[in-house]
Amino acid sequence: MAELIESVNPTRMELLKLKTKVKLAKKGHRLLKEKRDALIVEFFNILEEARGIRRRAERSLGDAFIALILAQSTLGVLKVKEVGLAVKETHEVNTVTRSIMGVRVPVLEIEDEKRTLMERGYSLSDTNYMVDEAAKKFEEALAAVVELAEVESSIKLLSQEIKVTKRRVNALENIVMPRLDATVKYIRMRLDEMERENFFKLKRIKTSQERKKAEATA
Amino acid sequence: MDRIDRLLSRQLQSMNRHLAKEKKVLEQLLKEEKPEVILHDGMLHFFNKKELELIARLLPEEKHRILMLPIYIELNSSKFGKGTARVCGISEVMVISKLLDKKAEGDEMFIYRPEIRIIRKKLPTTTQYMLTATLG
Repeated sequence: MAELIESVNPTRMELLKLKTKVKLAKKGHRLLKEKRDALIVEFFNILEEARGIRRRAERSLGDAFIALILAQSTLGVLKVKEVGLAVKETHEVNTVTRSIMGVRVPVLEIEDEKRTLMERGYSLSDTNYMVDEAAKKFEEALAAVVELAEVESSIKLLSQEIKVTKRRVNALENIVMPRLDATVKYIRMRLDEMERENFFKLKRIKTSQERKKAEATA
Repeated sequence: MDRIDRLLSRQLQSMNRHLAKEKKVLEQLLKEEKPEVILHDGMLHFFNKKELELIARLLPEEKHRILMLPIYIELNSSKFGKGTARVCGISEVMVISKLLDKKAEGDEMFIYRPEIRIIRKKLPTTTQYMLTATLG
């Protein structure tokens, strides 16, 4: 049997108060369950999306590194490093947020995803096609990585919220509600007991009075 | 309104703080560079432009002035049953029914959990969950 609420008075007033609490707890529990279910739906939606994005990011990063190795093999490691230093770092990531049932998840957008050869900033006469290809592939990979970062941080934030909501639902379901129910039951039992006691007392008084009356008349 | 209802409505208010303070019409949002609404918690919620364009394609142009965004997916398990949600509004119902390829008429439509998943997948920023409860 669940624990009782401590220092509770077995009175009708207390019973009424507890009944209100039970009703409220039940409604709150239903609401929290609703929230938890909606969050789980969102979580699985994003998780499904994340699988594809992760695969895509890994593939594009793999392609980019292969292209880099090819460029290094034709121009040399130092030359490619030099070219890399000349590249303008103009990629900006815009961060905005969207709300999923109160959970603020980031929405990342990368500006100027793909740049033209001239926009990259390195000398075209000193480099070859392999370098251009590596730069292009890394830009593609960057977009995939940004997308992956957005999805994975959303998963993390959503899972934290699900954990908190689940804990609240479980606390209501396994501790608060059984405790309230047990206390209501206890007060009902005590009130019934008191009623029986009173009834018995009255009966005893009545019999003793009747006896006294009979003795007096006899 | 008794004490339970008062407490419950306060709880609902706090659980629905992610809802927009004021909805905006599609036409206005399409014109904005960064389409956004202010939420009850004071934060900004940004809409994805691609989603807005998708909705604009689904609706006839005259409805662009009527449809208010975000579209609310109303959850109330005690009233509609577990896993069922309601979408209200003629234009809103039109958008959802076209996305789901489901027949719907009037200003009210009921959708179920697998459909909610589809909707949220297609319109993650232009739809929002709204928790409701039956008072009394």
